[in-house]
Amino acid sequence: MQSVTAIVVAHDGARWLKETLAAVRRQTRPLDRVVGVDNGSRDGGGQMLTEAFGAGNVLTMPRSTGFGEAVHEVLDRLPRAQGHEPHVDEWVWLLHDDCAPDPQALQALLWAADQDPGAAILGPKLLDWLDRRSLLEIGVTVSRSGMRDTGLEPREYDQGQHDGEGLRDVLSVSTAGMLIRRDVWDQLSGLDPELPLFRDDLDLCWRARAAGHRVVNVTEAVAWHAEAATRRRRRLSVSNEHPRRLDRRNALLVIMANLPLWALMRSIFRNIFGSVFRTVLFLVAKQPANALDEMAALASVIGRPGRLMRARRRRRQWRKQGYPSVARLLTPSGAAFRRLADMVQSFIAGAGPVDSAGRHHAAAETDEEDGEELLSDSGLMQRMFTSPGVLLCLVLLAVTLAAERSLLYGGLLGGGSLVPITGGASDLWRLYTESHHVTGLGSDTWAPPYVALLALVSTIFLGKTWLAVSVLLLGCVPLAGFSAYAATKKMISYTPARVWLAATYALLPVATGVIASGRLGTAIVFVLLPVYAALATRIVAGSRRAAWGFGLLLAVGTAFVPLLYVLVAILGALAAVSFAGVRKGVGVALAIGLGTPIVLLFPWLGRLVQDPGRILLESGLHDIALTDPRLGAENLLMLSPGGPGTPPIWVTAGLVAVALAALLVRRHQMVVAIGWGVMLFGVLVAIVVGRLTVHGVPVWPGVPLAFAATGLLVAAARPARWIGEFAATGRLRRVAAGLIVVVAFATPLAAAAVWVRSGAEEPLQRGVRDPMPLLAAVGSAKGQGTLVLRPRDGVVTYSVLRGGAPLIGESDLESPEDASQRFGTAVAGLASGRGGTYAQTLAQYGVQFVSVPGPVEASLHRTLDSEPALVRMSLSAAGGLWRLAQPAPAPPPPSGGDSMHRIWLWAQATILLVILILASPGARTAEAEEQYADVPQEEPRGRRRAGEDRVPV
Amino acid sequence: MKSLIENRFGLLALVLVALGALYGVAYASRPAPVVHTPPKPVRALMESLTTVCPSPGGSRVSVVTPPGAQGQGSATVGEIKEAPAPGEGAPPQDPPGKDAPQKGAPQKGVPQKGAKKGAADKAEKPPTALEQPGVLWQQDMKAGTAPLAVAGTGSMAAGLEAAQTARLDAGSQRGLASTRCVEPGADAWFVGPGPAAAAMTLYLTNADSAPANVEVMIYAGEGPVLSDRGSGMVLQPGEHRTVKLSDLAPSPLVMAVEVSTSGGRVAAAIKAVLGKDKGVDWLPVAAPPSTQVVVPGIPGMAGLRELYVTAPGEQDTVVQVKAVLKDGSYALKNKETVDVLAGSTSTFDLSTGIGGQPAAIVLTSDVPIIAGMKITGTGLSQDVAFTAGASPIDLGSVVADNRVTRKQESRLVLSAPSAEATLKVQLVPKRGAVPEPVEVKVPAARTKEIKLAAPPGGESGFSVVIQPQPGSGPVYGGRVLIEDTPSGQLITVQPLAPATIWALVPPTADSPSAVLP
Repeated sequence: MQSVTAIVVAHDGARWLKETLAAVRRQTRPLDRVVGVDNGSRDGGGQMLTEAFGAGNVLTMPRSTGFGEAVHEVLDRLPRAQGHEPHVDEWVWLLHDDCAPDPQALQALLWAADQDPGAAILGPKLLDWLDRRSLLEIGVTVSRSGMRDTGLEPREYDQGQHDGEGLRDVLSVSTAGMLIRRDVWDQLSGLDPELPLFRDDLDLCWRARAAGHRVVNVTEAVAWHAEAATRRRRRLSVSNEHPRRLDRRNALLVIMANLPLWALMRSIFRNIFGSVFRTVLFLVAKQPANALDEMAALASVIGRPGRLMRARRRRRQWRKQGYPSVARLLTPSGAAFRRLADMVQSFIAGAGPVDSAGRHHAAAETDEEDGEELLSDSGLMQRMFTSPGVLLCLVLLAVTLAAERSLLYGGLLGGGSLVPITGGASDLWRLYTESHHVTGLGSDTWAPPYVALLALVSTIFLGKTWLAVSVLLLGCVPLAGFSAYAATKKMISYTPARVWLAATYALLPVATGVIASGRLGTAIVFVLLPVYAALATRIVAGSRRAAWGFGLLLAVGTAFVPLLYVLVAILGALAAVSFAGVRKGVGVALAIGLGTPIVLLFPWLGRLVQDPGRILLESGLHDIALTDPRLGAENLLMLSPGGPGTPPIWVTAGLVAVALAALLVRRHQMVVAIGWGVMLFGVLVAIVVGRLTVHGVPVWPGVPLAFAATGLLVAAARPARWIGEFAATGRLRRVAAGLIVVVAFATPLAAAAVWVRSGAEEPLQRGVRDPMPLLAAVGSAKGQGTLVLRPRDGVVTYSVLRGGAPLIGESDLESPEDASQRFGTAVAGLASGRGGTYAQTLAQYGVQFVSVPGPVEASLHRTLDSEPALVRMSLSAAGGLWRLAQPAPAPPPPSGGDSMHRIWLWAQATILLVILILASPGARTAEAEEQYADVPQEEPRGRRRAGEDRVPV
Repeated sequence: MKSLIENRFGLLALVLVALGALYGVAYASRPAPVVHTPPKPVRALMESLTTVCPSPGGSRVSVVTPPGAQGQGSATVGEIKEAPAPGEGAPPQDPPGKDAPQKGAPQKGVPQKGAKKGAADKAEKPPTALEQPGVLWQQDMKAGTAPLAVAGTGSMAAGLEAAQTARLDAGSQRGLASTRCVEPGADAWFVGPGPAAAAMTLYLTNADSAPANVEVMIYAGEGPVLSDRGSGMVLQPGEHRTVKLSDLAPSPLVMAVEVSTSGGRVAAAIKAVLGKDKGVDWLPVAAPPSTQVVVPGIPGMAGLRELYVTAPGEQDTVVQVKAVLKDGSYALKNKETVDVLAGSTSTFDLSTGIGGQPAAIVLTSDVPIIAGMKITGTGLSQDVAFTAGASPIDLGSVVADNRVTRKQESRLVLSAPSAEATLKVQLVPKRGAVPEPVEVKVPAARTKEIKLAAPPGGESGFSVVIQPQPGSGPVYGGRVLIEDTPSGQLITVQPLAPATIWALVPPTADSPSAVLP
């Protein structure tokens, strides 16, 4: 004989309560007694209970009452069932207000209880309230670190796959729908009131298990649960804390209170390390609130040992002997690693390390926009070779390979403004992090930040700097084509126009000029420029994350070409004036985008500002021959920056003509006008900058002209869709449209043809001889220098190599003024042959060898031969090498490091990490989805807005 | 305004106007073409210099530094010893008290003390110290004196010039034989008669602190002489050695000698003794192989003039020969061009072509050549002199030893093969004030011979400082010393060598681009 008392506890759950009460009333096994508890509902929940159960059966409690407390209160008042038979099994059926059982649920549970008298706690299969087929729980277990584990896939559908197993032994079942024998309840003294919410069920079941009872999940019984408290569908009155923190704290408390002593010790360590690890993960996933909760929960458990001791004392009775039966059901330790792997996987997929096992919801996060263009088809090959973007890149790659035929393989790559590339990533890292550089005459300047960037890229290329530089510089055309194609997706919807834009952009005179003169910095900026434009459109729509990414990339570009920052800052100020008032958050986003580079590059920019002329120069060597100081006005208007590698000016005539024609189209006039505005701005800057001379070197207006070209291309490509409509309206117009298309495509085709025909080399070349002669390299001790003399145009240029060719960033280091002056005098004296003690001066700087690359001028070699302090080692067409007769020990490095530098490096790395986290796609929005699943995502809305007729920069 | 915006062509017009304005700005701001002038090297005084007199025994050694250099400085003249004792200081004979008035004295009123004292010292073990620029120091050396190192620093290095002159009026070595004391180097060329025609002796001296590995290469009339005896000579620091060239190549009648080192430096000199009553002299160092060679300093007097031309490369060549004479520059009749075989030395008699006029010979060829000339004096007993291809004296030239007595005369033969030149010639007497320089003009493509007159105080010897003036073309020249004796003329010639007053200090730039081709 069984008697069942159902207890429904309601707390602000009127949304669900009605259905719950109906379900209770509809049970096929009628209930013997029903009791409602209203924990101070303010939404009429108490009223509904009263209506359903009658006023006598409803208990009203204060708002702060927990679930367990409420049940205790009911059972304290409720007399034991008085049956006419001597033995009455009295059962208590606990129900939440947001848990609606199936009509057969109770019947199934009682049937299961009949099967095994040992089963003291039974629970139904819980399904999701909204998505009625989605499984929530079929019994729950927990790992030793307190992680809840349902054993289900996230969002697993119930297709009966877990049914038919009869009684499933589980560690615990939820209190929602829990059927518990009253004598067991009394024996265990019920739910622990210390745990007003969350994990109280786990605690109770653990104790029941330890006491030798069975806890069973009955899959034949079904209940739908809204998990209103966990998902923050209702405010918690029990505690002020966030449910997540509360859950975590209770989990830790339950674990620590129920584990026997020796397992507890291990668990404490495990939890401390685990929590710290998870905190880090949460920080990386941009969930600082989660991280805080994690730490706070741990602290509140560890920090209040008294509470823990009390809880342990209460559970002393069966804890140890019952543990083996519990341990069997705990999550095996290997699952922790699986969980970690899941986290990493989901983070890579862009979801952030959300607790997949515990909380889940139907909120679908699909970002169908990403890569949809490239991934639209099924087969990989088909997908690859039908995407216009991929095809364009392949064509550009073929053009590049044909034009750079002499640059592809062979010895060292160098020339123009590129030093021969030697060394690897580790050398660059060392150069960046060391505070005293042995190179040259020794330098205490901090290495420029682009060294770190190159080191990073080299590390990605397995430490091979030459490979990284080759790909970035020589591959700049296909890379720029790809970035232009990908970046304009939101701006230009018409694919042929995008293809034209990308091809034209990639083959601009700036690109070919960049490669010929070896300007690595501008090459990188050239590839990044379309990305800036794409991100900028999102910034003016107010996207914070885009702003962080923009700032980061702008810092990358600025590190190579400081002028870029000035250009972007001017345009940013204009954008701020025109958009800040229109849309919320634009001002902040702009400030982030423009402020990030300043913070990241702070000390270097500070030095740059002291010598403002250098803002106009870029990384690498500065050679007069690489620029045309008398660049004609027509060249500038035709976007040709002058210098080696630039095609004849008529090549870009088609582009300008089409862009002028675009001005006549009345649609998209805003974009066209802004595009032309950027073009005029860029050309104006190019004119001003191109007429300046910094440190004797004329400034190369490549980057401003690339800016101008970007504006022009967007202006020309945006109204391109109109061509089709135009052509459809008449025969004459069709001819005109065809003409426009021909003119437009003439530019990339002519540029490619000219480039392939003339070749990309000179002054950049392959097979630059290693400036460090082998004899000297072998003969010099560590730190000893080799002076390289190269008379050029009447000037003896020289450089001191220490053990090898200079690294790519070393040309931007500055030696102490007095040392370089003294050394320069000594070199001049040595080259003049006037005798004296100049060789001794060289020896003081640790210079042991003097090398003159061939062909050696007769006068110079005679001069060096007649110098008593020099001994000739070799002289041939390849060059001459002399050794100082006296030993020249390497100058000792200055003692003590630059602690400021070290502090800054750490700070920079930290800032970079934070910005990376802020810029990367992460869990910010994923979390928002999870908590407010019916609120649409922010992001697409912003993008959609940006996609409209708005700024292309 | 509104209509402009609403008009279809409004935007186009605006853009075109803006483009026009930009074109105007760019056009107007285009800088004028600048001719890129490479920076010129700066002249700077020499700071230190060492020359080596190869065999001063029995000769008069003359050392001079031209007047005018300011500041501190000193020069030493000392024998080169094989194991140089380190840290040898100032000579102890010099009472320190005597230095002070010398330094305080004005340039012109030079006291004779320095010279006198030097003469009294007789170049004993401690090297003689010279302190005063503009004073000629001369000393007759005892036979058997080791090679002398003349080293100057500071003001005494600027133009330090030394020469040794031997005069014998009888015996197998009768004649005037003089040579410049040369700077040690890695490479030296000589051209002259071969061991079959004269006793040729090579003097090698290593004045440095590093050993020198010397190779001698001989280009005879039949081609290069392949001999392993000439290679692999190692001279230890301070070592000097004489090599009979007949040991290396006994047969050549004419030859060119290249002395080079594969490590270290060596001072090389060759003395030719043609035999009794045939003359003796030193071969001057010839200019290194070049496609244009000027052989200057041919005196205006009777006698044989024999030209030596060597093409040390691997290609036969045709050499164009021109003589720069008093009244112009001519191709010589029947000697317009001469053929020289690869790797060999040829000789040509130019006596009739020059005809006893002062001259310089200009040789032009497709491949680098070297050249020299033998000058034979007149008389029953002959004496010879040698000159050789020389460099222009753009930076001036100094000749240390000149003598004008009743029987001896000194002449300067100056040639300006391409453009007119103006020179200042200054005589520096052994004692007494230095007279004002004299200006000499040499017209283009002319040679001028000047007989030097002894300045006051220069009766027993004086030096000559020659300075081309700015705007002058390249000048070549030689100094001829002639003595008439009853048995015949004694003669020696020294082609003018660029003075070591100045060095051209090139502009330098510390630039990482030095590693790029």
